[in-house]
Amino acid sequence: MVRYILERLVYMLITLLLIATLTFFLMKLLPGTPLSAADKLSEEQQAIVLEKYGLNDPLPVQYFNYITGLFQGDLGLSFQFDNREVTTILLERMGPSMTLGAQSLILGTIIGVLLGLLAAIYHNGVVDYGSTFIAVIGKSIPSFVFAGILQFYLGVRWGLFPVALWEGWEYTILPTLALAIFPIAIAARYMRTEMLEVLGSDFITTARAKGVNKFGVVFKHGLRNALIPIITIMGPLAVSLMTGTLVIENIFSVPGIGEQFVKSINTNDYPIIMGTTLFFSFLFILIILIIDLLYGLIDPRIRLTEGD
Amino acid sequence: MKKSNWLLLVLTLALSMFLAACSGGDDSSSGEGSGSDKEGSGGEGDKEQVLSLSESADIPTMDSSMATDTVAFQWLGSTKDGLYRLDEDAQAEPGIAKDHEMSEDGTTYTFNLREDAKWSNGDPVTAEDFVYAWQRAVNPDTGSEYGPYMMNGVIKNAEAIASGEMEVSELGVTAKDEHTLEVQLEQATPYFESLTAFGTFLPLNQDFVEEQGDNYAQEADALLSNGPFKFEEWNHGEGWTVVKNEDYWDAENVKLDKIDVNVVKDTATGVNLFNSGEIDRTGLSSEFVDEYRSSEEFQIKDEPTLFYIKMNQEGEVLSNVNARKAIQYAIDRQGMVDVILNNGSKPSTGQVPENFVSHPESGKDFRELNGDLVTSDLEKAKEHWKKAKEELGKDSVELEYLGGDTEVAKNLDAYIKDQLEQLEGLSVKVNSVPFEVRLERDTNMNYQLQNAGWGPDYIDPNTFLNLWLTDGGNNHTGYASEEYDKLINEANTDLAQDPEARWENFLKAEELLMKEDAVLAPLYQRSVAQLQKPYVKGVYVNPMGADYTYKYAYIEGK
Repeated sequence: MVRYILERLVYMLITLLLIATLTFFLMKLLPGTPLSAADKLSEEQQAIVLEKYGLNDPLPVQYFNYITGLFQGDLGLSFQFDNREVTTILLERMGPSMTLGAQSLILGTIIGVLLGLLAAIYHNGVVDYGSTFIAVIGKSIPSFVFAGILQFYLGVRWGLFPVALWEGWEYTILPTLALAIFPIAIAARYMRTEMLEVLGSDFITTARAKGVNKFGVVFKHGLRNALIPIITIMGPLAVSLMTGTLVIENIFSVPGIGEQFVKSINTNDYPIIMGTTLFFSFLFILIILIIDLLYGLIDPRIRLTEGD
Repeated sequence: MKKSNWLLLVLTLALSMFLAACSGGDDSSSGEGSGSDKEGSGGEGDKEQVLSLSESADIPTMDSSMATDTVAFQWLGSTKDGLYRLDEDAQAEPGIAKDHEMSEDGTTYTFNLREDAKWSNGDPVTAEDFVYAWQRAVNPDTGSEYGPYMMNGVIKNAEAIASGEMEVSELGVTAKDEHTLEVQLEQATPYFESLTAFGTFLPLNQDFVEEQGDNYAQEADALLSNGPFKFEEWNHGEGWTVVKNEDYWDAENVKLDKIDVNVVKDTATGVNLFNSGEIDRTGLSSEFVDEYRSSEEFQIKDEPTLFYIKMNQEGEVLSNVNARKAIQYAIDRQGMVDVILNNGSKPSTGQVPENFVSHPESGKDFRELNGDLVTSDLEKAKEHWKKAKEELGKDSVELEYLGGDTEVAKNLDAYIKDQLEQLEGLSVKVNSVPFEVRLERDTNMNYQLQNAGWGPDYIDPNTFLNLWLTDGGNNHTGYASEEYDKLINEANTDLAQDPEARWENFLKAEELLMKEDAVLAPLYQRSVAQLQKPYVKGVYVNPMGADYTYKYAYIEGK
């Protein structure tokens, strides 16, 4: 097990290095410079400023410098936030995104799994149709429409929650709800399908025949088996939720990373583009590892060490 | 019937699930939420001098040498005083300088600084603070963009220093004594007073800046103020709070105790926050204008920013002056601002905006004196176009039009295409590109038609007109006119000390540029539609630098 994890960590580093290299060169293909007043400066003046940041060096030299810095844990300084460390910016901006991502993932998964379970138990009943209806709505309505509706009715019209901004826990409620609708839909749909399949299998019939009651069967035998596909989807979903979403962050004025990432690309803020991409990739790879480990816990039939 | 019952049931179920989901956090939040609402609206009224604002982006930097954007200049201007400030009519009013003497040739300014001005750490504000700040701005090691941009050609030796050919200490600014600052200019610069109010020219406390090092201006406690307000809190990405600076030399005229600023990026969110009383002012995009136009909170803020079509004269078709004139005449500008922009923007008919500069003697507006140099007239457009086609020996012409990639820009460009294609045989291909791409193609002169814009850097016609000099760094149209160059250069050298004659030159130059030579097709002068609470008083709007002056602002009748 330990060996397996170590091996995976080494692959992880190689993957990250590859991503860093690719991103670095692709990013340099973006038109323009990180200068914010490029439209006002002559080419000579631009060159003088770029010199200071080492951006006149040949590309391989810039790449080498960046990778060297990276290995020393230095992500560099931002251009748009003059001289601010990329690490500081990432830390500041990740907080809100992670909070919203985690909250919406937990809320969404719990509600989604419950809905899916109920739908499977009361197959073809009213509950089933209701849950399918919610799943379809959640998947087809774009989150920004849902966010706008929540903001207007729950925020402005009824005054139940803060309209927007980021000044305490109550400010996370509306964006969390807006983000949770998608995981609810996904989880409910998968849970229902999987559960129906599991409930139809022989060992469930056996268990029922032995006298285990309906709910006992569902929770003790069914849930465990139905969770595997859910976890598979929830992993990447978790990353995409926690790395922030431009639209939701803008609508609720959340100081998150999603908006920052898009802006760094628009302004050619190279160090932020690199830093954020690497961080997202790291999170993604990490989550995949965690999921692989979780498989073994949930379903002992999947043995990690088997391949050795 | 049965079916609709079933639907209703499902909907109810969905809603109840949904409410169940949020009931967890309900109690604490709704209590607090409504509580603060009551405070806001019922409240203690005018005793509470707090202004709540929003900005569309975080402050990129509070380092005055590095600042390049409106948000930074806004909050630098609110927390710092330069030599002069801009008053209600955008004229220079005393800041750290009480007054100044100018040498006869206009190239040496001696500023007398007030002795009671202090930094928020107690240090006095001295002439040395200006010397340090200006030297730092042009020092190539600083990596400033606006330092060289604002100072080159104005402050003596700035250009040579910025390109590393001269020592920083050679910059034409010296502290004669603690409270006397002498500035040497390259040449007489009639707008120099208003320039000293600009962010790049703000003083810096050398000891403090060097002590903070890399951390300088990164956080609220790594900042010093010598202006009306000082930073209390700065949560990056989220917002900031400035409070009245009790050590400010003119503190008795500052009425606001506090300004709260939140970063709000989405217009609809801004409107929602405004309506729920969280912020006192919010910008409106055109789709909101009709809904709020009749509201007493509705305002139009005029800006001296111009938008126009650049025409590349190095291309065959656009080298023809009749073709360019046809394009000037063909566009119905009134229709454009009424239908497409719908935010109070005005048709532009010249290359110096309205309400920006007025005649040194008569006080008449530049635009009023030079009139509408370009009008909309389809018949004339067609005449010129016919002539152009004859001269070029062509029957049909295709032109590429480089436009922006925002939604408003796309609508606008579609409108312009439609207008231009009223000219027989002209087809316009719109290419919507990001700003960076447009800039690159502008620099390389790789375009035919291009939607461009310009805002002023100081209050003088020169800031709009010197762009089109033959060797102007931002010309990029291929326009090269000896006569035009002569008019502008003369205005900035021989006539620099003769305001009226100088003014005449600018009037003639603009006429030549727009009427005879038809270098550009003007589009519109931008305005911003916004909502502001009626209890916000005494906020001045500036044409350049900081958008607003909050020094004299106050809350009344909230």
